[in-house]
Amino acid sequence: MKALLIDTIRCTGCRSCQVACKEWNELPAEETSFFGGPGYQNPKDLSKNTWNLITFNEVKLNGRLKWIFGKKQCMHCLEPGCVSACPVGALEKTADGPVIYHKNICIGCRYCMLACPFQIPRFDFDSPNPYITKCRLCHDRQEMGEIPACAKACPTGAITFGEREDMVREAQRRIAENPDKYHHKVYGLEEAGGTCVLHISSVPFEEIGYITDIPNEPVCANVKPAMKAIPAVMLGAALILGASYKFRNRTRDEEPAAHG
Amino acid sequence: MTNHWIDLRNADVVMICGSNAVENHPLAARWIQKAREKGAVVLSCDPRYTRTTAFSDHYCKLRSGTDIAFVGGMINYALQHGRVNKEYVRHYTNATFIINSEFDFEDGLFAGFNPDTDPPSYDKSKWKYELDGDGVPKRDMTLEHPRCVFQLMKKHYARYDVDMACNITGSPKKDYLKVCDIYTSTWKPDRVATWMYAMGTTQHTHGTQNIRSYVLLQLLLGNIGMAGGGINALRGESNVQGSTDMALLFHILPGYLKTPKVGQETLAAHNEASTPKANDPLSANWWQNYPKYMVSLLKAFWGDHATEENDYAFNYLGKISGPPRTHIAMFESMYEGDVKGLFCFGQNPAVGGPNCRKEIAALEKLDWLVAVDIFESDTSVFWKRPGVNPSNIQTEVFLLPAAASMEKEGSVVNSGRWAQWRYKAAEPPGEAISDAAIITKMVQAVKAAYEAGGQFPDPIVHLDWNYNVDEHGEPDIHMVAKEVNGQFTRDCEVKGKQFKKGDQVPSFAYLQTDGSTNSGNWLYCNAYTGPNKEDNKMARRGKEDAVNQIGLYPNWSWCWPVNRRIIYNRASVDLHGKPWDSKRWVIRWNPALKDGAGGWEGDVPDGGWPPMLKPDGTENEKTKRPFIMRTEGVACLFSTSLKDGPFPEHYEPLESPIRNLMSVQHNNPAIKIWEPDLIADPDEYPVVCTTYRVSEHWQAGNMTRNVPWLVELMPNVFVEMSPVLAREKGITHGDWVHVVTTRGTLEAQAIVTERFEPFVIGGKTVHQIGVPWHWGFNGLATGDSANLLTPHVGDANTMIPEFKAFLCRIEKGRRQEMHV
Ligand code: SF4
Ligand code: SF4
Ligand code: SF4
Repeated sequence: MKALLIDTIRCTGCRSCQVACKEWNELPAEETSFFGGPGYQNPKDLSKNTWNLITFNEVKLNGRLKWIFGKKQCMHCLEPGCVSACPVGALEKTADGPVIYHKNICIGCRYCMLACPFQIPRFDFDSPNPYITKCRLCHDRQEMGEIPACAKACPTGAITFGEREDMVREAQRRIAENPDKYHHKVYGLEEAGGTCVLHISSVPFEEIGYITDIPNEPVCANVKPAMKAIPAVMLGAALILGASYKFRNRTRDEEPAAHG
Repeated sequence: MTNHWIDLRNADVVMICGSNAVENHPLAARWIQKAREKGAVVLSCDPRYTRTTAFSDHYCKLRSGTDIAFVGGMINYALQHGRVNKEYVRHYTNATFIINSEFDFEDGLFAGFNPDTDPPSYDKSKWKYELDGDGVPKRDMTLEHPRCVFQLMKKHYARYDVDMACNITGSPKKDYLKVCDIYTSTWKPDRVATWMYAMGTTQHTHGTQNIRSYVLLQLLLGNIGMAGGGINALRGESNVQGSTDMALLFHILPGYLKTPKVGQETLAAHNEASTPKANDPLSANWWQNYPKYMVSLLKAFWGDHATEENDYAFNYLGKISGPPRTHIAMFESMYEGDVKGLFCFGQNPAVGGPNCRKEIAALEKLDWLVAVDIFESDTSVFWKRPGVNPSNIQTEVFLLPAAASMEKEGSVVNSGRWAQWRYKAAEPPGEAISDAAIITKMVQAVKAAYEAGGQFPDPIVHLDWNYNVDEHGEPDIHMVAKEVNGQFTRDCEVKGKQFKKGDQVPSFAYLQTDGSTNSGNWLYCNAYTGPNKEDNKMARRGKEDAVNQIGLYPNWSWCWPVNRRIIYNRASVDLHGKPWDSKRWVIRWNPALKDGAGGWEGDVPDGGWPPMLKPDGTENEKTKRPFIMRTEGVACLFSTSLKDGPFPEHYEPLESPIRNLMSVQHNNPAIKIWEPDLIADPDEYPVVCTTYRVSEHWQAGNMTRNVPWLVELMPNVFVEMSPVLAREKGITHGDWVHVVTTRGTLEAQAIVTERFEPFVIGGKTVHQIGVPWHWGFNGLATGDSANLLTPHVGDANTMIPEFKAFLCRIEKGRRQEMHV
């Protein structure tokens, strides 16, 4: 099983990865103004057109300012809440690690959004056939024998890609060899039962805006069989949701429009 | 760079000062990261906390424009604490040289100052070495003579004690001392530091002396010539090194030959004035070869029309007269109406020029402007910018669409002097063609016009332009590259080898003064050494390292000179040819090589002469000193090369918030002041402002401000300031503000951040703000150019504009005046 290791100590905030993700996945630019978040962060958050976001965090470390860049994307959980919540199997955990999405199966219920402990999936509110968007761990590139686009673009090795067990070992090695530099935790090793995206950092993860109150057990692990038992009901729900699309869409304005 | 990008991984200490390397040269971080993994310490010294600082181990702030005070203090720290590689300094620098008794330094001025020239200047005859009867500089190998360079230097920098340095720079003393301690720890032969600088160093009225100050420090510590050391200029564009080598500047010809001056009527007179002489038999004085390179260049320009009889067409070359044609001077002349036409190749002065509002006004005085670019640039549409009526502008403007770098084949020379061949990846869109094709079309048209007659047509009609132009007008770029390398123009024998007419010259050591060789750039002689594409060394992609395993990768591309990856590498060994640092040796003398005659191994040495000493410890008369491009054969701690002094001395930027604490001489005395009325009064304009770039945009923005993904990341110009200043001005994060200087007003939204902090300078609080300069009125993302604010003043030596330090005031709210 493959995984990404993100090391914020090596990250320069250059955002090559953010652009590479859009380039590979043919995602259009969002229209932004000034900055959407602290520092140079743009856009504000993940969206249907932004699956990878570098966050800018000005924190204090040993009494001095430290600018630390976080990376926000799908964590590709070992036992994904999104997959277990999906009543129709539109989301799938593949054997190689990526959690992928089958658009043609999706009924637009958005249970996955509620089930994800990392608050990752986004919903395309602008489309009459709404669908879920998020990082795919570049499974299409992996099938071609390539590493994910963001890892390929990263100049410093802040993103490394490999077998999950190797990535875990590498993360633990870096911490063990530089105990003064790193916060002693591998984020994603145990969160929600473990993930295929691992992060290490110089400060506790809550200081750079990561969600840290996530239990170590897989989320909603038991929902799926229960839901599977009532597919017809869900299908009906989906139809209602579809019908209400237009109304909802009019009330939503937080999804920025794309340009270019 | 004396070294190269990969070599950064060899450093123990990486100093990033005067550049924002991690942010603006993102791949630099790859090699710095490798050094960090081996335990290197990264220092970030900058007026503001940047993404480079985020990647560093220690940060020390300094006020913009005070680098010499900062580094002068470090030099003094090294000298006071005995942190000097004495052997290196004694033998490889001019520390031991005695300066004549007329030399002096008083009240901020060196001996020989003449305030009555325009600009004021120095009589450098007051800075000369004392010579012995043979005309060789006198030396005191004990370094004790009161007039030896070492003692003069010690005296000069004793004035830069820690308190003085911090008082001027505003650096916190604790942070500063830590930087001094860590950096000078590399005086030990087996520790080495690299200095990475860029426009933060150069864009000052004392920019060249800023660089000199780094050189002095690196020489004292013995860090030049070493793996992981050197003095490394990070070029701001992928091929700016190549463009400088090829002389896209008015005062030089390709290969740093000199543009002839009026009065040099013959080639002999030009050579005489341009070729240094050394009386010291141990000086290689490489520039003694100047005439060979000059004749070979003339042969490349005019081919068979350059003959011994016509002085190799020397008088076909234009000669410099009148005011220097630097960027600022040229735009001043244009503004006065003296320049009628302008070709602007990939340049965007409407955004990038200092005091760009004046430069735009200068464009209005032109009869014609030709802009060559990959997008419609701000410069090319200056006549329809917001707030003007196009019918009031008479300039005729042409926009020629150019192929982008990936749409043509050719070489690109990186900061590390590596000439890397690139192939065409895509066809250029529409009517776009390569720059080479645009110039070829122009040459053909101008030739045709002069063939019909004109004033002095010979230089044009005789110009040798035989590059097999194809049906699309594209010249064969390999033929250009081969001519840049150089060819034999007739059958001949050189150094015992036979060559045929048309053969490629193997290296510049084979170039001749008799017209038997041509070479478009002697520095590149060795890049293309045979008739076939396989002989193009720039296209090599060998991944094997050299024997010393320090990341030279000698078979990847090619670098000048003669594929030497670390220049001055003969200073990386002691007098016996033994590396100062055996772990990261660059070259070493191996007596067993060449059948026992001995030879160097490792990198291509800076000359193949044997070590300074024989095995028995006596001087080897066959040796040469290691700094072969210097007439002295050694590196210059004291230099007569620059216009504004033999040692770097701190002066304030043209506009500064306080009087110079170092001397009564406030500004660099040798600068030209174009606009004395526009020098800001610090009472009215109390805030220091600096300009810079961000990762997401490129230079004047024409490429990146038209790419939606990059516009998404950085859509608007912004002003960064400290929370303290913001509070004083009632500004909150995201507010619109306007910044005012005597040149113009810029409006932008405010980033209020602790990455900016006030300075305490001479007991007084001084605020500094910063503005990136990528924006303009044209393109997908528009905004004010920071150069609406910057002054029309340049460095005393290079005339590079002082973009990095000037005065402003900042107010809440948008600006009133709309005209740009
Ligand atoms: S992070 Fe959320 S969306 Fe991604 S796999 Fe885990 S549960 Fe699913
Ligand atoms: S793995 Fe692929 S899809 Fe996911 S963030 Fe990286 S580039 Fe984007
Ligand atoms: S490409 Fe690498 S260094 Fe740049 S922002 Fe992304 S993770 Fe950080």
